[in-house]
Amino acid sequence: MPLGVDGSAADGEARCASVISVIAKHDVLVVGAGCAGMRAAIEAYDAGADVAMISKLHPTRSHSGAAEGGINAALGNAAEDNAEIHAYDTVKGSDYLGDQDAIEVFAEEAPGDIIQLENWGAFFSRREDGKLAQRPFGAAGSPRTVYAADITGHVLIQVLWEQVCKRDIPVYEEFFAWQLVEHEDRCQGVICWDLLHGGLKTVGGKTVVLATGGAGRQYRVTTNAYACTGDGMAMALHAGLPLKDMEFMQFHPTTLYPTGILLTEGIRGEGGYLINKDGERFMKHYAPNALELASRDVVSRSEQTEIDEGRGIEGSVLLDMRHLGAERIIERLPGSRELSMVYAGIDPIYDPVPVRPGAHYHMGGIETDNDGATEMTGLYAAGECACVSIHGANRLGGNSLMETITFGRRAGRSAAEWALSHTTVEVPESAERDAEARLRDLLDREGGERPWKLRDELGSSMLENFAVFRREEQMARQIEIIEGLRERYPNVYVEDKGEVFNSDLTQAIELGNMLDTALCMVTAGLVRKESRGAHARPHDYPTRDDENFLHHSITRWKDGGVELTKSEVRFTKWEPQERTY
Amino acid sequence: MQVGLKIWRYDSATGDRALREYEIEAPEEATLLDCLDIVKDRHDGTLAYRKSCRMMICGSCGMRMDGAAVLACKTRMYDIAQEGRVPVISAMGNLPIVKDLVVDMDPFWSKFKAMWPWLEPGYDRPDDGREYRISQERMNVVHKEALCINCGCCVSECNAMESDPEFLGPQALAKGMRFVGDPRDGATVERLERYNREHGIWDCTRCYFCNERCPKGVDPRDAIAKLGAESIRLGIDRDMGAKHAKWFVRSAETTGWLREEELIPKTQGYVSAIKQLKFGASLARHGKVRPVPIPHVARDVDEARNLRKVVQEQDRAGALGIVQGERALARLAHGGGSESLEEIYARPGSAPRPFLPGEGSAEGQGSLTQADVTPGKEPTRKRGEA
Repeated sequence: MPLGVDGSAADGEARCASVISVIAKHDVLVVGAGCAGMRAAIEAYDAGADVAMISKLHPTRSHSGAAEGGINAALGNAAEDNAEIHAYDTVKGSDYLGDQDAIEVFAEEAPGDIIQLENWGAFFSRREDGKLAQRPFGAAGSPRTVYAADITGHVLIQVLWEQVCKRDIPVYEEFFAWQLVEHEDRCQGVICWDLLHGGLKTVGGKTVVLATGGAGRQYRVTTNAYACTGDGMAMALHAGLPLKDMEFMQFHPTTLYPTGILLTEGIRGEGGYLINKDGERFMKHYAPNALELASRDVVSRSEQTEIDEGRGIEGSVLLDMRHLGAERIIERLPGSRELSMVYAGIDPIYDPVPVRPGAHYHMGGIETDNDGATEMTGLYAAGECACVSIHGANRLGGNSLMETITFGRRAGRSAAEWALSHTTVEVPESAERDAEARLRDLLDREGGERPWKLRDELGSSMLENFAVFRREEQMARQIEIIEGLRERYPNVYVEDKGEVFNSDLTQAIELGNMLDTALCMVTAGLVRKESRGAHARPHDYPTRDDENFLHHSITRWKDGGVELTKSEVRFTKWEPQERTY
Repeated sequence: MQVGLKIWRYDSATGDRALREYEIEAPEEATLLDCLDIVKDRHDGTLAYRKSCRMMICGSCGMRMDGAAVLACKTRMYDIAQEGRVPVISAMGNLPIVKDLVVDMDPFWSKFKAMWPWLEPGYDRPDDGREYRISQERMNVVHKEALCINCGCCVSECNAMESDPEFLGPQALAKGMRFVGDPRDGATVERLERYNREHGIWDCTRCYFCNERCPKGVDPRDAIAKLGAESIRLGIDRDMGAKHAKWFVRSAETTGWLREEELIPKTQGYVSAIKQLKFGASLARHGKVRPVPIPHVARDVDEARNLRKVVQEQDRAGALGIVQGERALARLAHGGGSESLEEIYARPGSAPRPFLPGEGSAEGQGSLTQADVTPGKEPTRKRGEA
């Protein structure tokens, strides 16, 4: 019989028969089963470790699968290219905030990783000579984006899942990871809520790799799935770990109005135009060389300026691909066409599609080194939840899928190596009791506010106050709003008290994760008094200030609030320059 | 808009089952998934369903609406609400229900895994450590199969699985075809041997419900047909289904019509055909068995023979002979598609034709297919600045 918060036996109904026990122990435990998680698990398996994955979704439901346009590697199939150019584009794209040693490793190892994926059976698009096709992407000096029409993420998720099946790697499916187990100064497992069957379950691991993805659901208009709620970032934050560069939230320039569903950058890579209500290709004013294929932060700001200055249509601009012709649209962009038809009722062969900037990707995340290791022994992170950092202040399209593979692999390898040289896993009872108490607290409330109200307020206010353009007073107000929501949070009411598939419970937990990570973002943003990459303050600090702000922002959870410090950017060979496209 | 929904609620813990009706207010662009969210948030937090991407790619939200499988996120509710219809929402079929609209996917995934759903590298692996060199045309053989998002809508509607729960089913078999048709795969024969077993490809009843309900245009039945054709081409034809199919072709090419009296012995073998004598007698009573054992040759038999010859000459035997269905994603109907760009721009109500600032409309139409990114050449300007 489980105990209530006060130590008394829970009522006879045993609403939540959550008896905690370590259900299994593994060498490497990967939390999250998108591209980064699966790649890490495969690598750990191949390194000889006993590996398992935990995921709140079935692996193929992960949001990596929604990536569309492609994955960057300097194969040089379409034009001359090499790792150095890729690295330079990435450094420049990051507005010089990316760590250059990490970026060099990334660009160097990316081509090999792509070849491996192809050899595993990835269904990539082909050139006429049978090699992998590559398309131009924003801010890339050469067409280096390998793609599969416009369903590249789907193809990657499938091939990784196939390789997971081949190795028969166990997956704790629909396990909602909630709390890291820290014992004897190292991470030794994860406490989860079993969504399908109910109950708290603890899975032990000599090492744990977090690969839980982003938190775009903090915004009302986002390309992100419902599942993208920053659970891994919040778990790490609550375990005392630093989150790095959280103020940098990428706004994707082409999200479908009004839903925020992603339309790939590949549309512009294939030659699509951005036009305002008059038909003017306005990017000429903002990025005279690259036009529509400037860096994402540049294009999003340009669109927002057009919209703010009254040259948009109902809060959006138009993405025009009519001139590409039916054949090219059908062959290269079938998914985008289907999305436009289903969600906007527009066939892009005949009409341009209304788009606007929408929250897309967290450049920041759990601070790791180039092997995915975090500050806590035994804990690793990879993918969007991590910040190595190769994206700095702005990520280039096609680099995040590549990051999941390259750094997923590196994290999986180093986690396995550490695990294989150490032996024991112990989960102290205290950790379990703590989780149990939190659970009881959530489920025992007999009334209160439904989580959706707070969620909607967070989403709307983040979009209003911490989006493409940021103002001092709006950010200050947003901190107050988030603090207010956090004060209301202990009163949210979980209506479902059952054991089986209690998504009402997990959604309430997700809300808490989003609130705390959002607070880190805005706190870091307020203090960064400059414009760099995705952090644009045209009204008070319109330029980049390398003298005072060429450093990473580090946020930690301390005494129920955010503590902000900074850390050095690692340079190798590129000096900061003015960034133009 | 006002949306009414009737939802089959179920709780596997108690076994309680009830049809509940909900009236909600939803925005006009709302999908079924958006409506379920509104029900869960504001009306009944205990409602259970899966969701994630809300953009037709993760495959989480398969369920039934009025008895047929749909992706909730792909189903717009506007027309239904305007008609005043109150659709019945229930869990997918052919899978055990866990709670409300959530089904246990374990049987689904165990069939998936039974297909060896991974590439078994073939012999022609590139020796330069690079990618396989394969034409897009060759890959396109399995283009539709590669679109599958494992949502389970086809499995939900599969009639063969309803009578034989162990039938591998449309999704798993489409995944099988994904590898049989992949020129990089080196295990085609082993795969087909496996898929030809009991509960395999020949147990499909060809009802085409899977093609009908697939939200991604995968057309699993076509994949099963391709697997069958490929099996026969490679001589994997021990199953009665294969023999049956082969006899149809053989009969048509020799005499130009189907000789039904020979179908049973050719399919089942002469020994077990004896057990079917009663059935044979029934055929005879209906004039389906010719009294004289000399086959009748159709007048236009040459046409049938020529058709067969064309297929062989074009090397379209096996999977290549199955024409890709019209419902494939890439082939979504788009009018005639023959309009010129000028005609498209001139359509009534069309958005303005694009032009580059300062260059007039006509010059603005050069297609930019290659980014011209020259670092440091011209600074990023703000609008209005010189």
